[in-house]
Amino acid sequence: MAGNALPLLQALGVSKSFGAVQALKPCDFRLHTGEVRALIGSNGAGKSTLIKILTGALTPSSGEVRLEDVPLPPGRPDQIIRRGVACIYQHSNLAPALSVMDNIYLGRQPTRRFGLLDRKRQRRQVVALLQTYGISLDPDAIVGTLPTVKQKEVEIAKALALDAKVLLMDEPTGWLAATEVRKLHDTIRLLKAKGVGIVYISHMLDEIFAVCDTMTIMRDGQIIAETAVANTNRVEVIEKMVGETLARESQAAANHDRRAAAAGEVRLSVRSLGRRGVFHDITLDLHAGEILCLTGLIGSKRTELVHALFGSGPRHSGTVLLDGKAVRFRGPSDATAAGIGLVPEDRHRDGLMLGMPIRDNLVLSILKRFVRLGRLDRAAITRTAQASLSALNVQPPDLDRLVRQLSGGNQQKVLVGKWLNLGPKVIILDEPTVGVDVGAKAEIYGILRRERDRGAAILVVSSDLEEVMTLADRIGIMVAGRLAALRPATEMTMKDVVSAIGAEPGMPAGMA
Amino acid sequence: MTRNDNLRAFATRNALGLAMTVFVILFAAAEPAFLKPENLIGILRSQALVAIMATGMTFVIMTGGVDLSVGPVLALSGVVNFYVMDAGWGLPLSMSAAIATGLLIGAANGTLIAALNLPPIIVTLAALSIVRGSALLLGGPDLHSIRGQPVFTFLGSGQLFGLPFSVVIAAVVAALMIFVQKLTPLGLLVAAIGENERAAWLSGLRVRRVKVLLYGLCSAGAALAGLIQTSQVHTAAATYGEFGTELDVIAAVVLGGTSLSGGTGSVARTMLGVLFLGILNNGMSIMNMPINLQLIAKGIIIAGALAAAQRSAD
Repeated sequence: MAGNALPLLQALGVSKSFGAVQALKPCDFRLHTGEVRALIGSNGAGKSTLIKILTGALTPSSGEVRLEDVPLPPGRPDQIIRRGVACIYQHSNLAPALSVMDNIYLGRQPTRRFGLLDRKRQRRQVVALLQTYGISLDPDAIVGTLPTVKQKEVEIAKALALDAKVLLMDEPTGWLAATEVRKLHDTIRLLKAKGVGIVYISHMLDEIFAVCDTMTIMRDGQIIAETAVANTNRVEVIEKMVGETLARESQAAANHDRRAAAAGEVRLSVRSLGRRGVFHDITLDLHAGEILCLTGLIGSKRTELVHALFGSGPRHSGTVLLDGKAVRFRGPSDATAAGIGLVPEDRHRDGLMLGMPIRDNLVLSILKRFVRLGRLDRAAITRTAQASLSALNVQPPDLDRLVRQLSGGNQQKVLVGKWLNLGPKVIILDEPTVGVDVGAKAEIYGILRRERDRGAAILVVSSDLEEVMTLADRIGIMVAGRLAALRPATEMTMKDVVSAIGAEPGMPAGMA
Repeated sequence: MTRNDNLRAFATRNALGLAMTVFVILFAAAEPAFLKPENLIGILRSQALVAIMATGMTFVIMTGGVDLSVGPVLALSGVVNFYVMDAGWGLPLSMSAAIATGLLIGAANGTLIAALNLPPIIVTLAALSIVRGSALLLGGPDLHSIRGQPVFTFLGSGQLFGLPFSVVIAAVVAALMIFVQKLTPLGLLVAAIGENERAAWLSGLRVRRVKVLLYGLCSAGAALAGLIQTSQVHTAAATYGEFGTELDVIAAVVLGGTSLSGGTGSVARTMLGVLFLGILNNGMSIMNMPINLQLIAKGIIIAGALAAAQRSAD
């Protein structure tokens, strides 16, 4: 890139605090004309805060954003979009029942006298726009009938119709198949040739290496590296994303809390489990009294695997044995009855009753135990809920408080507590500390270690390598729907894990 | 300032109770006969059927669903009871058959909704048509008069403790359902499903089974209402429970503060909504308001009360 030329877009010393929490430390971000820059970092690294400042969705606590050296009005998304900074979100903002043409000019169709639509002019403008950028779309096609990748192109065209100079693309390929991804990348290259600057936010390293020129890596609310894509490789990028030194320290700190792997008898035995087109040939033993962490890139199908184990997702081949007996759960209620709990990834959507009090949330999975002659024993419920409240140190310790009113960390403790009340043989946790502050994280780790020492078998899915190195007795690594490695944590360094995670799909994991 | 705020909070929380008081005062001032005991009991009797149906409907609506088929189920129940009784099978069997018919229709609705994940409004709309058709097929266009059944007649026309027996039945059903809601696991399950169905399922709750049960209960309530109505008018007919029955029931539930999107709701407050509709109907009739104006006024008042309830929920 023309490093000396004036940047197209620059953020200078922008930062953002929410109360006492600094979500983004002061940082500089630059994007040049015709540059495709990847923005990467794990969840909570500050990417979305930075993007929101660029689009005006958030007003920065300090600093300013300049487009072609003219300051943009902070916190004014409507004006910023008109000046030429557009964002294409993961979820579509299109009107599916309308045509491509109408979507592109939605809300600002050219008009004739009396406010009548000027369809001819609209069509001329759309055709010219699509030609200029070499996008092949039928202006009359109904958006809802188009394949997803074409819909993305409509969104891009919509942004370009507003003379977008900068396009921010948030996980643009999240819903696309592989061939569609390539089509989208072709479009991106066309835009780049026309001088549009693009920020490409993605977890998919393959894509970043395929389409981006430069990358900005964020961690813990700051930019920690900026580099040309040509000068780096996958392993280096992952190391920077997770912070190697930090991880090494926490690994050392965790080592004395680690159990000799495979201490107890086998609780859950998974044999050649597969789901067509998603995960394949998964074989692993989960022992009583151990914490097994499954890690891998986002999209390596760990969530789908644990849902298959819990009866809440499909499986097509292989067997699962619980305490030596083959089990096939038809739904979560079967799994729960067998003593398995699942803390799902999205606690708001899948885990909690936000509008119900802490008390009810804590006992929801074990209601049957409180039935006396058909009646609920409210006093016993309160006693049980009170006990878990103190054991989990939920703040504030008020059973009548609605879960919605708790902080993320305390919500997560309630969700974990709900399953602990089951006295589970096996507890599965999917990304248990996403959006949880550092203090609550440590408390949740403590709770999980206590459960392990009680004899529970614990399976944790985590993309947070620091967490994996801190918590795991054994580490399993999934790459593209296959279990690429499964080793005692003491035998693995951060570097081993990183290189196994970053291994090319379908290639040997480089662990042996 | 704070006193004002408290007052406002009180007013929004009890909007329905306050509106009811206002209307009672209004009607009593316009027509003193409104407050006569016979008239007040008349209000209760007129609402007994709606009350019975509204208890089950409260649970259904709390799960984010709705049951539009209560009217035809009410009619079919009456017709089934008539034929079984007419065939000489005796009252216990005929009434059980009528209630079982309701239970089965509801369970079928619930199964389609829960197992196939079909929208409740479509499934019960289809049931509305199918059940009405079945009732007409079975009963034809005629009125079937019921004679010489003193026990059955007592159901709708008898008196107990100075109250119409239908009102006593409604009170018992309401008390039972309030008990179920407040003191049994089912109450909590219903709230959990309405609050977040997917999370309830992932918590190991038997969501489908509960839904089948709830639609079954709702239809069984309609069937019971059908028995009482047949008893009150001494005839069974396939045309009873005409269009609008389900709307009265749903309006009562929603007036009682149950959210149409599921989650929050209370059988006790539904009963307040039932009472409110009863007072409205009776008051306007006693003031000799023509029926066309009554319908218009009722619609406006229901919309207004709902708007107020919505504001208090925010």
